[in-house]
Amino acid sequence: MASSVSSQQDKVLVEANSFARIITLNRPKQLNALSFQMISRLLELFLAYEEDPNVKLIILKGKGRAFSVGGDVATLVRDMRADDWRVGANFFSQVFKLIYLIATYSKPQVSILNGIVMGGGAGISVHGRFRVATENTSFAMPEAALGLFPDVAASYFLSRFPGFLGEYVGLTGSRLDGAEMLACGLATHFVPSAKLPLLEAALCDVDSSDPVIISSIIDQYSKQPSLKELSVYNRRLDVIDRCFSQRTVEEIISALEREDVHQSDSWISATIQTLKKSSPTSLKIFLRSIREGRLQGVGQCLVREYRMVSHVMQGELSKDFFEGCRATLLDKDKNPNWEPSKLELIDDARVDCYFCKVKHEEWEDLKLPNRSQFELPPYAIAKL
Amino acid sequence: MDRAYQRTRILTNHLIPNSPAQTVCLTSNECLSYSPPELSEKYAFDVGEMRRLMDGHDVEERDRLFGLIIQSKLFNPRVRGGKVFVSPDYNQSMEQQREMTWKRIEYLSERGVFRGWMTGKGEDVEMKRFACFEVLGLFDHSISIKLGVHFFLWGGAIQFFGTKHHHDKWLRDTENYLIKGCFAMTELGHGSNVRGIETVTTYDSNTGEFIINTPCESAQKYWIGGAAKHATHTIVFSQLNINGTNEGVHALIAQIRDADGNVCPNIRIADCGHKIGLNGVDNGRIWFDNVRVPRENLLNSVADVSPDGKYLSSIKDPDQRFAAFLSPLTAGRVNIAVNAVYQSKVGLAIAIRYALTRRAFSLKANEPEVLLLDYPSHQRRLLPLLAKIYAMSFAANYLKMLYVKRTPQSNKTIHVVSSSFKATITWSNMQILQECREACGGQGLKTENRVGHLKAEHDVQSTFEGDNNILMQQVSKALFAEYVAAQKRNKVFKGLGLEHMNKPCPVIPSQLTSTTLRCSQFQMDALCLRERELLNRFVADVSQCLARGESKEHSFNTNYQLAEDLGKAFSDQAIFQTFVEAEATLAAGSLKDVLGMVRSLYALTCLEDVTYLRYGYLSVDNAAAVRGEITKLCSELRPHALALVSSFGIPDAFLSPIAFNWVDANSWSSVQH
Repeated sequence: MASSVSSQQDKVLVEANSFARIITLNRPKQLNALSFQMISRLLELFLAYEEDPNVKLIILKGKGRAFSVGGDVATLVRDMRADDWRVGANFFSQVFKLIYLIATYSKPQVSILNGIVMGGGAGISVHGRFRVATENTSFAMPEAALGLFPDVAASYFLSRFPGFLGEYVGLTGSRLDGAEMLACGLATHFVPSAKLPLLEAALCDVDSSDPVIISSIIDQYSKQPSLKELSVYNRRLDVIDRCFSQRTVEEIISALEREDVHQSDSWISATIQTLKKSSPTSLKIFLRSIREGRLQGVGQCLVREYRMVSHVMQGELSKDFFEGCRATLLDKDKNPNWEPSKLELIDDARVDCYFCKVKHEEWEDLKLPNRSQFELPPYAIAKL
Repeated sequence: MDRAYQRTRILTNHLIPNSPAQTVCLTSNECLSYSPPELSEKYAFDVGEMRRLMDGHDVEERDRLFGLIIQSKLFNPRVRGGKVFVSPDYNQSMEQQREMTWKRIEYLSERGVFRGWMTGKGEDVEMKRFACFEVLGLFDHSISIKLGVHFFLWGGAIQFFGTKHHHDKWLRDTENYLIKGCFAMTELGHGSNVRGIETVTTYDSNTGEFIINTPCESAQKYWIGGAAKHATHTIVFSQLNINGTNEGVHALIAQIRDADGNVCPNIRIADCGHKIGLNGVDNGRIWFDNVRVPRENLLNSVADVSPDGKYLSSIKDPDQRFAAFLSPLTAGRVNIAVNAVYQSKVGLAIAIRYALTRRAFSLKANEPEVLLLDYPSHQRRLLPLLAKIYAMSFAANYLKMLYVKRTPQSNKTIHVVSSSFKATITWSNMQILQECREACGGQGLKTENRVGHLKAEHDVQSTFEGDNNILMQQVSKALFAEYVAAQKRNKVFKGLGLEHMNKPCPVIPSQLTSTTLRCSQFQMDALCLRERELLNRFVADVSQCLARGESKEHSFNTNYQLAEDLGKAFSDQAIFQTFVEAEATLAAGSLKDVLGMVRSLYALTCLEDVTYLRYGYLSVDNAAAVRGEITKLCSELRPHALALVSSFGIPDAFLSPIAFNWVDANSWSSVQH
């Protein structure tokens, strides 16, 4: 028993360095996939550090080639099969509470994104004050291909990308590299990975929570990366704005098809193919989600996404999540049978259901942690 | 410190003046910091559900359009206090503002926002169009007027007065902005009195052309939105003179610019110049120097001229013919009324959010200062206006439905209701914005904070598409006609909400209790009582004049004071009715409870009107009871203030910096950026 607790604790390492606390996700073989225990541990740490006057700064990083690929969905699906859907809902409730805490945290968090950042991995980092990308960073929100949808308040941060890039990234699961993340505001700094040890050491000398001071320290190790020549950010923003601003997923696809006729382009046809392979339900509910999220605070986004994800876990409206996990993570045949199988089979009324409360006696809306006792910094207040 | 506790303590101290201070404040000079109301205020009901009730329709379409605006650089996004706000740069010159308005319209057109606006049919299309208008109006008045002129006036005239060949020729091009329309009705010498316009059109049967002419300076077309810069075509209103007979006001299509923007021959155009608001709209003046247009350009659904120059009309009565020509103005009035509601929402959301974060004066030394909205006087200033805008929101939804479900039989009702709602709501909008401006103090003067600036932008609403005073006179005249008709035929009242006249006159209890005052039946009785009594009195006084042999017009004119009171009584009652109906659709629960309080606050505010004492419908004691109950309702609604303004569904980006973290928005670091 004791050993299993400690082995779980090993998955999240903590290092105290004067006023900084370095938290390292330590599950490198699973690319730092976040288990329920890891999430709980992070929640515990963040809550404690906020009260602790000796902590002024939190550094979050991952061991190995990933920062984190997100929630440990394979385990989650197994646990839900053994028990029931509320295990899943409970998992997301913990994750979302952690994200709300991070998004409204009273002390600065520096996340060092030196590798893969996906889903929940993005959730525990991009909402913090500072996000450092490197040449190794690769960001994606691939949930729609898994029968889920970009959650972790993605409807908040993706919707705030320039133009309609957020719709594109969320619907297609396309990757962004470090330079692109910086360009769209997802990263606040770009630091070459070789300089990370120096950056970390410098941050550990800080005795202040003042974001201006911390930012200027990171600035010293930062450089302005150039976007790759083929970067969507360089070359596709116009097409993305024209197509992904359309009303519906169907209209987005036909807008892309019209573009494809004008200028035959492998990027456009690949984009269309990706959309057609993803769960139609996931695409539709995500599009609604990001459109609402654009106009909401981070808390409202999480409450809404929690309703959505609870419906997905409950599986009464669609079992696409389980099918997606089967095809991608378990059987790995990469050939999911989505149900409903086509976009046109999913009407607005069906989409609406995901945004309503779950009708189950033990289910309730997400209860966000109370933040009124802390004096929040302006950048956190702006997200409310 | 816990905010709820702090507030309770302040209020306790307020109520029990001698209670000892509970804590000794050690750091009285602590800096002010902004405390977000989201963290301290609680929502007792689902604001999403309230928003759906208030917006009434097309919520998803609205959100998409909000998103299209926020995500485009054309809409001038600025970051203040860590948040993005969109609003035109009113510091630009008039020319620049007009250019920006046009670029924004082009962008929205490319994004397919106007798809189906002219070529689509049915209630859904019209309601969606209203929804988009409401959203665009929240961004800027100029863009909504510029679109309104093109789609509702120019496009509407073609739809309503034109026939199939006009529809086929113009509607699709209008929808796609291949042409840009305007609407030349008003002249320098004639505004509300359209029948008096002086522009003249004659017909030349040799060439099959109409000849439009501006015979004198007072006949120049004035205030024509779009004419100064962008419009390529216009609807011209003129006296149609056929073979020496004046057939009255008719509408034709005339081209005023070519596709490259050059003014056409025999057309002279001048600018109306800089205005107190709406500078993104290029209002112009037009003179026609015997401009020739083909015979087909007469919009001929009401009347036509044959190739050989014979005047033909299915409507023989010139009064009715004229009325038919004014019908597209109804859509304009609906839009104006609805738009005014949303402007008031912006003002109230900003002023109330500010009042939930701004403090002034401590009740005792060394105590924290009191939040503005915790002062009963501040509640009294803003919360009755909040209740009013809830009522007017439901009234606007009702008006839209009435309009889209229009039938030939409902034309009179639409005219009367849209006239009275347009006047009442736009007047109240100016009053609300002024109160909100003052409630924001000096911050309300900054253009970026919107409230003060909106006054200048929307002042025009009280006179365009019908001067409010004249519209209200028309309401009273219509009620008079209804009364006389019912009397003459010895029939019951039916329509215009006058059915209550058939019942016995309601009696107001001599001593009004809190329970009675909050009862919707009592509230309805009190509003109907005033309408009934004023109508009786108005009819009696006008009839007396008529009996003395005075003309109808003169009789109405001399009784203008009663006419005003009656018009107002009609509006208040009709608006209240829509509130009661909206409330009735809700299931029991916290949302309905809060809305019930809002409804009571609205009704009692109406009962505070001076007419109740002037004509003795309320005793002095009862008037005092009404006043007391309003104060109580204000304090009971105070905890719901944030939820009630959040339910407006206006995205943060469309409010203003003082509605959020105004300390950070004004910090030195923001100056340096």
